[in-house]
Amino acid sequence: MPPAVAVTGLGKRFGSVRAADDVTFTIARQEFFSLLGPSGCGKTTTLRCVAGLESADEGAIRIGEHVVFDAACRIDVPPNRRGIGMVFQSYAVWPHMSVADNIAYPLKVQGVARSVIRERVTEVLAILGMTGLGERRPSQLSGGQQQRVALGRALALNPTVLLLDEPLSNLDAKLREQMRAELKQIQRQAGLPILYVTHDQSEALAMSDRMAVMNEGRIHQLAPPEEVYRRPATRFVLDFIGTVNYLPCRIVGTDGTRVCLDLDGAAVLTIPRPPYIPEGDRALLAVRPEDLVLGRAGGPVEAEVALAATVTLRSFLGASFEFRLAWNGTEVRVVADKGSGIADGDTVALGVREGLLLEPDALSRPDARAS
Amino acid sequence: MSSVGASRSLGRLIDWRIWLFVLLAGFVLVTVIYPIFQVAIRSFLVDGRFDLANYERVLLQPRNYVAVWNSLWVSVIATVLATVIGVVSAFLVQRTDLPAKNLFRLLLILPFAIPPLFAAMGWVQLAGPVGLLSQAWKAAFGTVTVPWNIYSPGGIIFVLAVTNYPLVFITVSGALQRMDPSLEEAARISGVGAGRIMRDITLPLVRPAILGGALLAFVSSIDNFGIPAVLGLRANFYVLTTRIYEALVVPNMPLATAMSMLLVLVAVIAMFGFRAVEGQREQYAVIAGKSVMPNVVRLNRARPWLVAGLALAVIVIVVLPLLALIIASLLRYWGADLTLANTTLAHYTAVLNAPAAQRGIVNSLALATGAATILVVVTALISYLNIKERMRGAGLLDVVGLIPFALPGSVIGVGMILAWSNPPVGPTLYGTIWVLLLAYIMRYMAFGLQATRTTLQQIHGSLEEAALTCGASRLRTIKDVTFPLLRPGMVAGWVLIFISAFNELTVSVLIWTSGSETIGVWIFLMQDSGFTGRASALAVLTLPVILIMFLMAQALARLEERRAQAAGTKS
Ligand SMILES: Nc1ncnc2c1ncn2[C@@H]1O[C@H](COP(=O)(O)OP(=O)(O)OP(=O)(O)O)[C@@H](O)[C@H]1O
Ligand SMILES: [Mg+2]
Repeated sequence: MPPAVAVTGLGKRFGSVRAADDVTFTIARQEFFSLLGPSGCGKTTTLRCVAGLESADEGAIRIGEHVVFDAACRIDVPPNRRGIGMVFQSYAVWPHMSVADNIAYPLKVQGVARSVIRERVTEVLAILGMTGLGERRPSQLSGGQQQRVALGRALALNPTVLLLDEPLSNLDAKLREQMRAELKQIQRQAGLPILYVTHDQSEALAMSDRMAVMNEGRIHQLAPPEEVYRRPATRFVLDFIGTVNYLPCRIVGTDGTRVCLDLDGAAVLTIPRPPYIPEGDRALLAVRPEDLVLGRAGGPVEAEVALAATVTLRSFLGASFEFRLAWNGTEVRVVADKGSGIADGDTVALGVREGLLLEPDALSRPDARAS
Repeated sequence: MSSVGASRSLGRLIDWRIWLFVLLAGFVLVTVIYPIFQVAIRSFLVDGRFDLANYERVLLQPRNYVAVWNSLWVSVIATVLATVIGVVSAFLVQRTDLPAKNLFRLLLILPFAIPPLFAAMGWVQLAGPVGLLSQAWKAAFGTVTVPWNIYSPGGIIFVLAVTNYPLVFITVSGALQRMDPSLEEAARISGVGAGRIMRDITLPLVRPAILGGALLAFVSSIDNFGIPAVLGLRANFYVLTTRIYEALVVPNMPLATAMSMLLVLVAVIAMFGFRAVEGQREQYAVIAGKSVMPNVVRLNRARPWLVAGLALAVIVIVVLPLLALIIASLLRYWGADLTLANTTLAHYTAVLNAPAAQRGIVNSLALATGAATILVVVTALISYLNIKERMRGAGLLDVVGLIPFALPGSVIGVGMILAWSNPPVGPTLYGTIWVLLLAYIMRYMAFGLQATRTTLQQIHGSLEEAALTCGASRLRTIKDVTFPLLRPGMVAGWVLIFISAFNELTVSVLIWTSGSETIGVWIFLMQDSGFTGRASALAVLTLPVILIMFLMAQALARLEERRAQAAGTKS
């Protein structure tokens, strides 16, 4: 069976800006696929190309069995004949139509019989948890409800793929969380493939089956969320997803399972062998805050070698603590479950559980290899 | 973001949009560019060759100098007066605890919808030699004269001011309504009194609106024909518009053309003057898009006095002239005593039986309806191509279509005569009613463009894209989404154009011919030749039409405001 969506070598320029550059990905049936990246990286452009609202300069797009776009063959199926459903960042719920009319519109355009439309609208309203609100005007709805109407309208016709452009970004944190779960639920129920655009990494990590991390028009990594988090392909991905500490080091020795590092003469430590080891002996050790462990100075620490560091700022995050430490002139951030006994100014022991190794100049090169 | 159908690199290049654009461009070319070109070119031609003789002749005649000078100083003083009335009343209505605000607002805007000619006639009947006020004065003080003369520059200035202040009132009210209240609140928190806030914060912030309204009032004053014609011709006091009228009665086409160019020059200089004043301070972006609860000044003890004063002013400025018009239409002869024995319906019968008046009524209704309908459709299409299809050419049409708004009516009249007396191709339309239709279309194109452009700009592109992704074709999207959302703007534009065209006199009086009289022209001719009763009777007969349109416009504006408020709560 062909994938629900296949995008190959997509390129789109706006003047001198390359909004999409050789973008290639496929979305499987029933897959939740996200495009993640910072503002202006080309997510919306890519999505709009798939929708047919923008014509790419190069590449090809297939939706189901049909080629809907091919720059070489000059194929460009207009959006209304691509069989997609789309939810816009601004919702784009029509203010001059009732909720029911909004949801019924795609069916009406297809010339579906009235009675069938009514049935389907009732069904969609039920899925959205909005039964009884069909006669309301969009101006009488809350932001979250409007967003649901937009979703319902996109779902009404059982599209081959659902395109969502930051649909949750206008909602407050609580509602966003709730809508996330509902969206996932609806997707499972309908068995729909989804192309989801967001700049919120936690949203992408939580919801996606697979995700593509983009920067400046290019995909840096395409993988399941866990892999993106655990084994970021490039410095950019490593940086963009979560927080990272960079510690300059020298590679002293490696074997099949471990690598021994000299942290600029301050300490020598051994960590599990990372997936990528740069050539030469100089390198950059990248460690996530939760991969660092804290202990009282002199006391036992989980990791092998302990470094002595000073606490500069302790912040309580609710479920955990975040520490900013000064170690050897560098600021290091650590997240720990426990930390009640530690105060600002204390000297603590710092251990490294695991980390990644990068080229020594990786900080200035977003596309430097990280895994 | 590109909007629906931003130029697609693939696909058909020549499609319906190109054809539509060509049609619209042709329309603008014929209705706007060609007449402007005629005025601009013909004034420099003598016997088909470039020559400044026309200007020489105009400038060598002191009579014409005087007209330019009169136009200027009369309009300037009238504008200052109108601005004072407009600003004070706007502050009272918008920013104080005045009672019956909505009624005051409605009455204060009303003169905007009444033709200036009617106002001039009303004031003649009130304050003329045998006017109602004059008679009352004489009776009260036992004199045989009154200390004023309505047939004078002073009379013209006064009537211009009380006709044009609504332009200032409307712009300043709008700015006061949209002003971000936190700016005033910040001052209030720092312990500044309400009156001081007005002076130090509010007034400076609405300055651009005041200047904008004043500019509109100035252009409207300098453009006016009815008032200086009714009040000035008799005193041999000429302004540019009345001089051009005279030159065309003779007719002296080159003179009229050269005078028109002078009028354009005055208007343009005025506009640049206002721009310069306004540009001295940077524009503050403080006017937010939504209506909010404003800072209200309590009038306290002054309240009854101010209410009485404003009510009196409204009665004198707005109600009395209309009342005088009605009385004049019912009096046996002008200046007759106000007794029941002296009332008659004879003027109404005369009007309704006069073929020219009948034609005028039919013509005015047909012309206003026709111009409004054609313009709303054409400008909606231009704005659609301009805003939604991002067509450069359509943007140019939009700019060109706005030019006539800055042109005084006399210029448009002269342009029409030059353009359609003996056109290079096509029929001679001058002498038919069609030239009036073309003139109205040219004159009010800006209203249609403005209304449709701003409405379309407010329709977010994603609303239309959503329809496309729902499977609707482009035309279906226009029908189901764009057009319904644009319709309120089109209706508002239609009403505004209808009122303006229905009340038009400056252009009509220059280009009417027997058979193509309008209501305004007929009333003016009657008034001018002393048939005050008949002129007043027809004016009174047209008032209901004007009032209905006016109330409709007000209702539409309310609706629009509420829609904007509802939209303001979303995205
Ligand atoms: N119509 C356009 N004309 C010119 N440049 C554009 C246009 N649309 C997008 N761009 C540019 O292309 C780049 C990618 O834009 P895009 O909207 O795809 O970003 P995005 O990843 O969706 O960002 P955001 O998270 O802010 O929505 C940006 O640099 C943007 O300025
Ligand atoms: Mg975007």
